[in-house]
Amino acid sequence: MRTLFVLLIISILAFQGFAQTCCSGGVPLSNNLGLPNEGKGVISLGLNYDYNNLNTLNAGTTKLDDSSRQRITNSVLYVMGYAFTDKLAVESLLTWVNQSRTISQFGNQSFTETSGIGDGVILLKYSMPEVLGNGTALNLGVGTKLPLGKSDIITEQGIQLTADLQPGSGAWDGLGWASVSKGLNFRPSATVSGSFTYRLTGVNNSYLNNSATYEFGDEIQINLGYTDQFLMFNTIFNPGVVFKYRKALEDKIDNQGIPNTGGEWIFIRPELAIQLTPNIAINSRFELPVYSYVEGTQLTPTFRVSTGISYLLNTKNELLIK
Amino acid sequence: MKNIFILASIFLLQSCSSSSSSEELGPVQGQDNNDPAPVSLEWSIPISEVLDGGPGKDGIPALVNPKFSPVENISYLRDTDLVLGIKNGDDVRAYPHAILDWHEIVNDNLGDISVAVTYCPLTGTGIGWNRIIKSSETTFGVSGLLYNTNLIPYDRATASNWSQILNESVNGELLGEKADLISLIETDWKTWKSLFPNSQVLSINTGFSRTYGISPYGDYNTNNDRFLFPTPKDPRLPSKERVHAIVDGVDAKAYRFSDFTSNNIIRETYKGRNYLLIGNPNFIVSFELAGEQTTLDFEYIHNGTSELLVKDNEGNEWNIFGEAITGPRTGQFLGDSASFMGMWFSIPAFYTTELYGG
Repeated sequence: MRTLFVLLIISILAFQGFAQTCCSGGVPLSNNLGLPNEGKGVISLGLNYDYNNLNTLNAGTTKLDDSSRQRITNSVLYVMGYAFTDKLAVESLLTWVNQSRTISQFGNQSFTETSGIGDGVILLKYSMPEVLGNGTALNLGVGTKLPLGKSDIITEQGIQLTADLQPGSGAWDGLGWASVSKGLNFRPSATVSGSFTYRLTGVNNSYLNNSATYEFGDEIQINLGYTDQFLMFNTIFNPGVVFKYRKALEDKIDNQGIPNTGGEWIFIRPELAIQLTPNIAINSRFELPVYSYVEGTQLTPTFRVSTGISYLLNTKNELLIK
Repeated sequence: MKNIFILASIFLLQSCSSSSSSEELGPVQGQDNNDPAPVSLEWSIPISEVLDGGPGKDGIPALVNPKFSPVENISYLRDTDLVLGIKNGDDVRAYPHAILDWHEIVNDNLGDISVAVTYCPLTGTGIGWNRIIKSSETTFGVSGLLYNTNLIPYDRATASNWSQILNESVNGELLGEKADLISLIETDWKTWKSLFPNSQVLSINTGFSRTYGISPYGDYNTNNDRFLFPTPKDPRLPSKERVHAIVDGVDAKAYRFSDFTSNNIIRETYKGRNYLLIGNPNFIVSFELAGEQTTLDFEYIHNGTSELLVKDNEGNEWNIFGEAITGPRTGQFLGDSASFMGMWFSIPAFYTTELYGG
């Protein structure tokens, strides 16, 4: 346990060094949870980059003809998982976030950005293989989002930015997570999977110089995916497609709902993972909205691209080797 | 020891957070200089209470010399929708809240008047400003900043920031400069089209794609508990009740629609100035009387269909804009008052406010 703790801290510090030299993270926390349990003693490490572009202005489901506003979120997400047993595992997620707002209007361009450590997640997971039948795996998890990121960044002019431009939320959230997967009998290389995440958001009690409270809306996310596998150039490729449903409730300030927050979206996400070695895999995803409904009028996601690398470290084997 | 290590790690991580902003300017009407003005850190209002509203500078696009349509061609307004009106000679124009909700500022020209019709949806305040500042015409844009949840316009000539309700520049090259007010009236669409059937009304063909007629702020106008940003509240009246405020220095006096139930005319002396206020359930207007005007006795003659509002003991008939339409003083104007309509909470948030009738 102490080894795990030290490794976690070293990882944080290593991550800090990386973050200072690179832009990153938009806090797509729910997208990046759910590492598989690779077996007792296995440490899973992952480093992902996520680019989220919001350049579509919607009123409800109607796309308005206005591309003057753009929000871009670059995220670097560092995921680390450790399996205590074949069933019980823990997963942590640390983020570094760079958020920008660009207004291109009347021939002028106004640009504002913030960068910094975003919030983190710790998730405790329990796996139940075969509980739903042969070839299935059910995983349940509970966790929390830790308010590691700053939520009170001010501009050079001394003006505090709104909650959605801050790297952190300033609040502890509760997380519930479940996933299920099943291998297909008629095509052993294929897997269908689904996951459900609920984020019960907490309240930032020190918003705007302690003058108000702020609560982001609770969030539900459901993923349904199909993944297959093929061998090419002596390498395993895992193409897949995921349909993602996301619903966010409205944000609240001083416990009053804020207009123009919250909505529902359905995305399609083709993805490809390549198993470079038994321990190292790389992945990439491209996410496009196929349905967007926003409360009121809001910028809504235009597209998202992410890529990453993951590494499995079997501590038990290494100990045996030593 | 372990806890200290964790806390130290988190502190190190948090210390990496930062922000930056920049501007690139292109050629814009009312802006001769394309170099961004240097960012001024000096504000006449508490900087800690100036907040970023979210959309960013020009994220809410102000209009410049927009299109107008005749009253009979307007179909996007309901009878109860509010409009701001202005008159210069025969040129009478209405600026509906339904459009101002989405643009907040209309830079317009009516003959020799160069006006910025400024409207803050979060305080409900509609105020006209002269766009000729220090002998130069400018245009105003929406800075994206708020003070006491009220609009902070910026002028494109100097990039100075202004407080709408304080009517003065609060940051930048023009710090301390007062806005020269241009009188606007506020009434509902049904009343406006009865009074001015031949007027011009701001068209929804603004060049921007917006859902005009649907408030971007939901029930904000009527929900007394809903605020998007922290601001002082005053329990004397419901926060969102619309009142007419006369301002004088750091003081203000507010008048409710109910003050005009038994009498449509109020004569007041406030802070040494003489005022004439005229109201009914559809509008409240006020004028500052000076010189011989203070000796006039006014009688309310408004019938709901004519722009005529009051008649005086000399036989003059005055319209809603304070212009003598008939009588020996035809063509004269009652003095403009420093006044505007707005949600109640916003007046004491900026001024030491006295409520008419206690």
